[in-house]
Amino acid sequence: MAIALPGQRAARRGGLRRLARRKSTVAFLLALPLILLIASLVVYPALFSLHLATLNKSMEHFVGLGNFEFLFKRELFWMVVKQSCIFAITAVIFKAFTGFVLAHFVHNIPTKKQRKWRGMLLIPWVIPPAMSTLAWFWLFDPSYSAFNWILRAVHIGDVNWLGEPNWARASVILVNVWYGAPFFLIMYLAALKSVPEQLYEAAAIDGANWWQKIWYVTLPMMRNIISITVLFSLIVTFANFDIVRILTAGGPIDQTHIFATWAFKLGIEGNDIPLGASVSLFMFPILGVAAWFILRDISQRGNEA
Amino acid sequence: MPKQSSGRRKFLQTAGAASVGLAFPYIRTSYAAGSLSVAFWDHWVPGANSALTEVCQQWAKRERVDIKIDYINTQGNKLQLAGTTEAQAKAGHDVLAFVAWDPLEKASSLEPLDDVVASLEKQYGKIVPAMEYLGKKNGHWIALPSPTGTQVKPPCARLSVWKQAAGIDFQAMYPAGQKPTAEADNWTWDALLKAAPKVQQAGHPIGLGLGQTTDSIDWVGALFHSFGADLVDAKGNILVKSNPAVTQVLEYMQQLVKHMPPDVFAWDDASNNKYLISGQGSMIMNPPSAWSVAKRDNPKVAEDCWTFSMPKGPKGRFIPYLPIILGLWKFSKNKSAAKSLLHELWQRDNVEKYDIASNGYDIPSFQSMRDFKIWSEVSPPKGTVYHYPPRDDQTTWVSGAPAPANVANQMYVQSIMTKMIAKCTQGGETIPKTLDWAASEIEGYART
Amino acid sequence: MSAAAVAARPAKRSRSISKDRKKAMYWSYFFLILFVVFFLTPPFYMLVMSLKTSGEIAEAKFPWWVFHPTLENYRSLLTSENFQNFFINSALVSAATVVVTMLISVPAAFSLSRMKFWGSATLATGVFLTYLIPETLLFIPLFKIFSWVTEVTGIELINHWWVLILIYPTLTVPFCTWIMIGYFASIPKELDEAALIDGAGWLQVLLRIFIPVALPGIIAATIFAFTVSWADFLYPIVFTTSADQLVLPAGIVTTLIKGDVFEWGRIMTAALLGALPPLLIYAFLMDYYIAGLTAGATKG
Repeated sequence: MAIALPGQRAARRGGLRRLARRKSTVAFLLALPLILLIASLVVYPALFSLHLATLNKSMEHFVGLGNFEFLFKRELFWMVVKQSCIFAITAVIFKAFTGFVLAHFVHNIPTKKQRKWRGMLLIPWVIPPAMSTLAWFWLFDPSYSAFNWILRAVHIGDVNWLGEPNWARASVILVNVWYGAPFFLIMYLAALKSVPEQLYEAAAIDGANWWQKIWYVTLPMMRNIISITVLFSLIVTFANFDIVRILTAGGPIDQTHIFATWAFKLGIEGNDIPLGASVSLFMFPILGVAAWFILRDISQRGNEA
Repeated sequence: MPKQSSGRRKFLQTAGAASVGLAFPYIRTSYAAGSLSVAFWDHWVPGANSALTEVCQQWAKRERVDIKIDYINTQGNKLQLAGTTEAQAKAGHDVLAFVAWDPLEKASSLEPLDDVVASLEKQYGKIVPAMEYLGKKNGHWIALPSPTGTQVKPPCARLSVWKQAAGIDFQAMYPAGQKPTAEADNWTWDALLKAAPKVQQAGHPIGLGLGQTTDSIDWVGALFHSFGADLVDAKGNILVKSNPAVTQVLEYMQQLVKHMPPDVFAWDDASNNKYLISGQGSMIMNPPSAWSVAKRDNPKVAEDCWTFSMPKGPKGRFIPYLPIILGLWKFSKNKSAAKSLLHELWQRDNVEKYDIASNGYDIPSFQSMRDFKIWSEVSPPKGTVYHYPPRDDQTTWVSGAPAPANVANQMYVQSIMTKMIAKCTQGGETIPKTLDWAASEIEGYART
Repeated sequence: MSAAAVAARPAKRSRSISKDRKKAMYWSYFFLILFVVFFLTPPFYMLVMSLKTSGEIAEAKFPWWVFHPTLENYRSLLTSENFQNFFINSALVSAATVVVTMLISVPAAFSLSRMKFWGSATLATGVFLTYLIPETLLFIPLFKIFSWVTEVTGIELINHWWVLILIYPTLTVPFCTWIMIGYFASIPKELDEAALIDGAGWLQVLLRIFIPVALPGIIAATIFAFTVSWADFLYPIVFTTSADQLVLPAGIVTTLIKGDVFEWGRIMTAALLGALPPLLIYAFLMDYYIAGLTAGATKG
């Protein structure tokens, strides 16, 4: 029976409250640099970008949605939208698929050997993309392509890797897949390992073959990680700059331009900052929609589980 | 702080002296002092920057200025980018090199240089009209041509291939040290089109870039103008659909493209060089940098090269001209020193030094200086670049002229002409549709 | 039908399972070799090119192997003032960015995963959502903001390598914080509570108990921050122009590639040398790297 003296109780309550307040203040202070960083160098510029997009080219007058009107009328703008989406979606699908398949292969070999193979396969992701894209650029070069050398040797003939629009798009996607697949490999491999072996054995007893096992056991167990990696990769791929810039600079005839490279061309090279800002801003709603869908999917399943 | 390497990159602030220097109006022998930061175009020809660096440093020593020299090249439009970023930030170098239409576009940020030009013109005669077009706004010179980097892009061809396959002897038409012969009058775009399939069959097609970098944009600009196919007139009216010559030139290109490698649409500034040096190409349109490198890497090809005039079109013979232009920012804190340096850079002896260092690459903007010996001496073969600097038979032409500066600049940056050609050839569009597209694009260029 | 038959079946199945396993393994090796070849072709090619002279490259007789190897490209690069500048700038920027990132991320991750304050849940999701605002959206307004500050205050925020130290954390902090939140959240709360009961303050809990246990996650975040800072390309291109302010990726692509001139041996050498620091770090700390990356994955 705790009949505390009024003073004591008050003191304890006061003490607890003080402790709680102190804790939350400390917590806030610890997170403050993060908040400041994001507020000043991410949120503020993003909002400023909205403001920039409403100005005219010399940034002296307010033109409201004039820049967006201008863009919507241009055939090239819609082409860039289409190209960006095709690029991002195709590349992510290939990356995820490659990563998934490779994860299975690595999983199938003895655990001791896995480390070595995994190490070799992650290398593309570790090399700075600007550097490796230079190598690809030379491999695709019109006059000196080493790939064409091989193709000529087996009598297939040259491929116009960077000069023919569809090949150029394929090349850009190829380089992006080369660069990004290892990330998926690592993530999926880790996730694979955490799928309990008993589930596979149970499925085997039920007479499942290999692809049924994947469909009914592996994929459901890995749903969350697949969603997160696909979302993350969609965002990063959609906003890609380095690869297209170095490989094709948007050519030929603007057929490989994506938002980032086109914004760069218009805004910085063309000296039209507001127009460049408008183009970049277009990425945001598309990304936002994608993010919302996938995050909703994750949290829904989180609630089910 | 950090890693600044010593040597020419010292940044000593003698603020007092600088302010004193500013107080004096520009006189060539004035005490300039203070510090100056300059950025020049990074030369393609290996080792050519050194002559310019030397002249600058000698001047700096004499005038007791601390000079910091940067070389920025145009790969990836880095130099053009510097121009944009410095104009926006109102901070950066004092003197910066610009390309083609940029100075006119940024005229409000550039310091007038009428005094420097007046003094130089008294010494060497008038600056060539094409340069005057790009350097003067409202009657004032807002930029000075650069003594290095200004280039023309005439054809450079493999003599043996053309002689054997097409029966055309460029060396005879354009002999070293002499004027072009009467035969040269027949060197027209039609003649090129007739000969192109022959050299293609001999295994060495011509390679004229149709990408989105300056090498492609420049020669196509001259091509268009030589047909009279100006897309925009001086007042800004868009002539794309009303000018029949535009259709003519596109039809011409539809034919010519068949005799060129399919990858020309992806060529950047280096591609045509590589094409010639590798021995594959029989003709490109380029300054002698390709030949310079071939001299080092593939001498057999180099010995066989010859540079000569552009083909003639219905409206005349126009040679693609890419000027590098020096501008002095209004925000510079040491304008008198800058003007003194600019004046010094153009002294004839110095200009000759740059040209020797660059193997004759740079084209001076004073007609009186286009007689340096370097062009007759450089070899092998002797006289290979004698016909590189434009003389009487050709007019220099900047791609985009005579459109108003802001439109011309966008036409250049967005490489509209090569895109038009690509659209109606590789792109498979009809010419009328291409014209529609081009007209709507150019309408957008007039944005302010 | 009898017990014997039933007994026989498992035996046959275990034999066929191991045969299946073996077949799977061989096929796996086969495909793995194919993919390794595909993944390692560009680095291999870079190495071969870096050992070639300009002449050998121009001849283009056999692009996949070098017949007259030369170390001239390496020598000329390593002694080139420009290249050394690029390397030093990159090293300084990356190191400083890593420090700044860790100073911001670790406390923030600790706070968001262990302590509650008003808005902490939103902030945690918000950190992840900052990834929706990529650098390709921010570079234009940032450029304009920095130009404006330069103009107004005279502090030159354009064309200096140290400006990158201000901007790079926006690339690294969100992901590092996210990795570490995942990592920290998996450390049992009993650990803190035991320390608290013993009278330790929060700061002591962080430093003495937490960080040592969370070290693998911290190392992974550090490696990630370093790799991203080292490799960034867009911001340097926009914010630095003079050769002595450039960092490695921007420097190699913009100054070593001189459109007209043949320098491809040197360029590949430069690219290889530029890729070396991340590769070395990765080679030695690979397990931490992978563990850190996947920590969020399997727990999330």
